[in-house]
Amino acid sequence: MLRFVGGRLVQIAITFFLFLTVVFFLFQAMPGDYTKQFIMNPRIPPAAREALKVRLGLTDSVWGQYVNYVRNVFTGNLGLSFEHYPREVWDVIKERLPRTAILFLVASVMAFVWGFPLGRYIAWKRGQTLDYTITVAGVLFYTIFTPLLALMLLFVFANQLGWFRTGGFLTPRLWLTPPSSPQSIFIWLAATLAGLGTWAVLARFATRRIGHPRPRRLAQRGLVVVGVGLAGLGWWASGLGPFAWDIVWHMFLPVLAVTLIAFGGDMLLMRDSMLEVIREDYITTAKAKGLPDKVVRDRHAARTALLPLVTSFTLSIGFVVSGGIVTETMFSWKGMGLTYLNALLIQDYPMAMGCLIFTGILVLVAHLVADLLYAVLDPRIVY
Amino acid sequence: MALLTVQDLTMHYRTKLGGVHAVDGVSFAMAEGEAIGLVGESGCGKTSVAMALLRLLPDNAQILGGEILFEGRDLVKLSEHEMRKVRWRSISMVFQAAMNSLNPVYRVGQQIIEAIQQHLSVSEREARSRVAEHYNLVGLDPKLMDRYPHEYSGGMKQRAVIAMALACSPKLIIADEPTTALDVIVQDRILRRINEVRAEFNMAMMYISHDIAVIAEVAERIGVMYAGWIVEMADTVSVFKHPAHPYTIALMSAFPSIKGDKRVLAQLPGEPPNLLAPPSGCRFHPRCPHATAECVDEAPRLEEIDKGHFVSCWHPQRRSQ
Amino acid sequence: MTDRTPAQYAITPLWKMRLRLLARTSRQNWSLFWESRIGPVGLLIIGLFLLAMVAHPILISTVWEPRVYDPVMGFDRALIGRHPAPPSWSHPLGTDPIGRDVLSQLMWSARSAFALGVTAAVISVVIGTLIGAVCAYFGGVVDVVFMRLADLVMLFPFIALLMVLRSVLPLTLIRLALILGALSGLGGITIVLKSQALTVKVKPYIEAARVAGGGSWHIIRRHIIPNIMPLTFLYMMFNVTAAIFTEAVLSFFGFLDIRMSWGVMINTAQQAGYLGAFGHYWWLWAPAGAAITLLCFAFYLVGRGLDAVVNPRLRRR
Ligand SMILES: Nc1ncnc2c1ncn2[C@@H]1O[C@H](COP(=O)(O)OP(=O)(O)OP(=O)(O)O)[C@@H](O)[C@H]1O
Ligand code: SF4
Ligand SMILES: [Mg+2]
Repeated sequence: MLRFVGGRLVQIAITFFLFLTVVFFLFQAMPGDYTKQFIMNPRIPPAAREALKVRLGLTDSVWGQYVNYVRNVFTGNLGLSFEHYPREVWDVIKERLPRTAILFLVASVMAFVWGFPLGRYIAWKRGQTLDYTITVAGVLFYTIFTPLLALMLLFVFANQLGWFRTGGFLTPRLWLTPPSSPQSIFIWLAATLAGLGTWAVLARFATRRIGHPRPRRLAQRGLVVVGVGLAGLGWWASGLGPFAWDIVWHMFLPVLAVTLIAFGGDMLLMRDSMLEVIREDYITTAKAKGLPDKVVRDRHAARTALLPLVTSFTLSIGFVVSGGIVTETMFSWKGMGLTYLNALLIQDYPMAMGCLIFTGILVLVAHLVADLLYAVLDPRIVY
Repeated sequence: MALLTVQDLTMHYRTKLGGVHAVDGVSFAMAEGEAIGLVGESGCGKTSVAMALLRLLPDNAQILGGEILFEGRDLVKLSEHEMRKVRWRSISMVFQAAMNSLNPVYRVGQQIIEAIQQHLSVSEREARSRVAEHYNLVGLDPKLMDRYPHEYSGGMKQRAVIAMALACSPKLIIADEPTTALDVIVQDRILRRINEVRAEFNMAMMYISHDIAVIAEVAERIGVMYAGWIVEMADTVSVFKHPAHPYTIALMSAFPSIKGDKRVLAQLPGEPPNLLAPPSGCRFHPRCPHATAECVDEAPRLEEIDKGHFVSCWHPQRRSQ
Repeated sequence: MTDRTPAQYAITPLWKMRLRLLARTSRQNWSLFWESRIGPVGLLIIGLFLLAMVAHPILISTVWEPRVYDPVMGFDRALIGRHPAPPSWSHPLGTDPIGRDVLSQLMWSARSAFALGVTAAVISVVIGTLIGAVCAYFGGVVDVVFMRLADLVMLFPFIALLMVLRSVLPLTLIRLALILGALSGLGGITIVLKSQALTVKVKPYIEAARVAGGGSWHIIRRHIIPNIMPLTFLYMMFNVTAAIFTEAVLSFFGFLDIRMSWGVMINTAQQAGYLGAFGHYWWLWAPAGAAITLLCFAFYLVGRGLDAVVNPRLRRR
C-alpha cells in the first residue's frame, strides 16, 4: 500500500511537471509576451516596475524563466495578480476555491443521493416503460447544453416565480454593514455543511445495529433533524443567520443546475453498472439463498455496482474548475471557473496560470483518491 | 412417501425467434435421502429443470404446466414469499458456475452466515460455528472463513460453495455440474466427500452432469435427458446393464471402453435438435437407428418396462451391455 | 447446410458468402438496436437535423431571399429598428439583434455541427483504433509510452486549455475538429480500444494467422482492427456528442473563429445583452440551446443503442 502510494506520488509529480511545462509554453506563445504586459500594466505604480523586472527575472532567457517558474510553483509562489494587484494569485485562489468546492460538493452529493437509488431501481425494473422514460430523462440531463439549463432555471425560478436570485454571491444591499466579512461567513457556512455531513454519516453508523428498518430510519432522520436544528440555532444565536441565509439563497440555483447535470450521469452509470452485475452468477446464488429481493438488490448487486460510480464521483471533483466555467458564469458565482475565465478575458495571465495549475493539482489528487477509495471498497484490489 | 414428485413439468423460454422448449413433460420422483443423477448432452435442459425446482428462472421463462410436489406442496403454485422460505432451507443448490457463485466483495464466511441467518433464528456466533463445522465437513480450514473469494483457489471455492449448500441442512441439494471446472483428482475427492456428507445427514441429492461416468459413481438412480425430455430413468445398475432407450445406448457406447475407442460418432449421426423447433413425434427420431414412421408421427410416453425402469420409446431395446 | 459437399461450397464465390454473412449480421444487429428503443429515437432526431441541413440551401434558393435570410450577412430592412424581432410569419423564430433570421441560422448551423462532430469523432477513433491495436499487438515500449500519454491527456482540462490555445492559434472549425479528435483519440478511447484489442489478440485465429505466416501489419489490419470496429463505432457516437458540446461551449464564450453556429447564436445574444432579459427574448437562446441539446442527446442515444448491440453484457437475453 505504502509502496503503491509512493509510486503514485512520483508519477503524479512527473505528470504535474509535464502539465506545468505545457501551461508555461502555452502562455509563453501568447501574442504579446505576457511578462511585458505585466510591466506595462497601468495598475502597477512605476516605482514598483523596476523592482518587478528584477524580481521577474525578465533579463533571463526563456529557459531561465521557465526554470524560475517551475521553482516558484513548487515553492508555492504563484505570483501577483494584475487585476487584484497587489494581491497574490494564491490569495485570490484561497478566497475563490472554497466557493467552487462547496458548490460542486453539495451538488455532487445531492446528485449521488438521487442518482444512485434511482439508477439501481430502474436497472432492477429493466425493460419496463419506467426504465425507458427515466433513462431518456437521464440522458437529457446528461447532454443538456449547460447554458440552456441555466437560462431555463433562471427564467422559471428567478424570473417567473421570483423564488431565487438571478445570480451573484450575495445581495449587496444587505451587506452594507456586515458584522463579519462575507468570506469568513462563507467559510463558517462550509464548515457547518461539512459538520452536518459528518453528523449524518455518524447517525447512520450509530443506528446501524437497530434491527427493524422502521425505527432505524426514524432514529436516523431524528438525529439528522436534531443536527440541522442545532446548526440553525447556532447561526441564529450568532446573529449572522440572515447573512448566511443570503449566501445559501444565492447558491440555490447553481447547485440545482450542477445537481441536475451530475444526476443524469450518476444515474445512467449506476444503471449500466447494475445491469452488468445483475447478470453475475452470485446474484442468482443470492436469490437462491432465499434472500428477499431488496436484500439481493441492495446488499449484493448495488454494493458491487457502486464501484465505478465512486470512481467517477471522485474523478469529477477534479474537473470542477473547467466544469465550473459555464455554470459559474451563468450564475455569476465567483468561484474558480469564473475567475479563470475573467483572468483570460482581461489577460491577467498569472491569475489564469494559477487557476490552471490548481486545476491540475485537483485532478491529480482526485485520481489518487479514486485509486485509494477503490482499494478500500474492492477487496480484490490489493496494492 | 416421496420427497419430491415432478409431474409433467413443461417450461419454455420465450425468445424473439419463438419458444425454446427446454423442459417438456418431465416427470420423476425422489425419495428422502436418495441420490439421483440427471445426465444428457449440453443444452438438453438439465439446468432448466433444476432452476425450475427452485423457481429461479429468468424473466423470459414460463412454466406452462405440470406440478412440482415437494413435501406435499406444489412449488409451482407457491407465492414468491413462500417460495423464498423453501429456497436454501429445504432445497439448496450448487451452481454450474460455482467459481462465480460467491460475491467478490464479501467474505466467504459472511455469505454463508447470511444464508443461515435468513432461515434459522440463530445468533451470529452460532451461525459462525455452524459455518466452521461445515467447513470441516467439506475439508476446508475454518480459518478461511474470513477471507475473500479471490483468495480461494478453484477447489477451495468449490468446497466453500458446497459448504454453503449444506449450511441450512436442506432436504434436497441440487448439484449442477459441481465439479466440471476442476481437475480429475480434485473432482473425484470432492464428489466422494459430498456423497459421504449427504448420506450422513440423509439429504436427498440431485447430481447433474453431461458425463455419465461421474454420475454413475454417486447416484443411485439415473435419469437420461434428451432435448427437454427424460427419455429413460432407472437405477444406476439397470441403466448400465440394460439400457433400453437408443439414446442411452448411444451414450453408453460413447463411454470409453478398455480399448478407449469412442464410437459415438458412428452411433449418433447428426446434431442435438434445435429446441426452437423440435422434431415431431419422438425428438430423437432424426438420429435414431431404430426410428419408424410411428416415431415420426407420435411422441412416446414414459412407461415402466421393468420394475422401476422407465423408458420413453416406441421400440425399447432389450440387450445387455 | 449439412448436405452440401465441399465442391458446392467452392462454387459459391467467396464475396457472395461474405455478403450474405454481412447481411445476416447486420439484420441481427439492427434488430438488437431496434430493441434498445432509445437508439432508433436518436436516429430519428439525427434524421430530422439532416433534413433541416439539406432543406436550408433549397429554401435559400427558392422562397428565402438571400439578402434577408442569409444566416450570416442577412438583414431584414422591413423590420429595421425592431430587431431582435419576435417570431412572425416571415421569421418563424424571429430575428437576432442584428436583424438576421434565427430559423435560417438554426438550420444552417446544423451543417457545421455535423461537420465538426463527425470529423472530430472519425479522427479520434482512427487514432484510437490504430494506437490501441498497435499497443495491444506489440506491447513493450510503444505500449507504455502511449498509455502514459493517454493518462496525461485524460488529465487535461480540455475546455480550459483550449481557451488559452485560441489566442495562440485561432480556432477555426477544422482546427477545432482536428484538435478535439486528436486529444480524445490519444486519451480515453485508446485505453478502451486497447483492452478490447487485447482480448482479440489472444484468440486462436490470431495465432493461426501468425503461424500461417501473416505479417504483423496484416494481422492488425485484417484481424484485430475489424474485431474492435464495433466498439470503435460506439465511441464515435459518444465523441460526436462531446465535440458538439465543446464547440458550443467555446462558441458561447466567443472563443472560436466561427462565423455561425448554435453556440455563436447564443453568444451574439449575450454580447448584445439580451440574455439577462430572459423570457422576453427567448427566441435568441432557446432554439439554439435546444438544437445543441437535442443533437447531443440524439447521438448519445444512438451510442447507447449501439452499446446494447456491441456489449453483450447489457443485452436482454
Ligand atoms: N434464458 C434463456 N432464454 C432462452 N433460451 C434459453 C435460456 N436459458 C437456456 N436456454 C436454452 O434452453 C436449453 C436448455 O438449457 P439448459 O441450460 O437447461 O441446458 P443444460 O442441459 O443445463 O446444458 P449445459 O450442460 O450446457 O449446462 C438450451 O438450448 C438453451 O439454449
Ligand atoms: S421412439 Fe423411435 S425414434 Fe424415438 S428413440 Fe424410440 S425408436 Fe428411436
Ligand atoms: Mg447446465
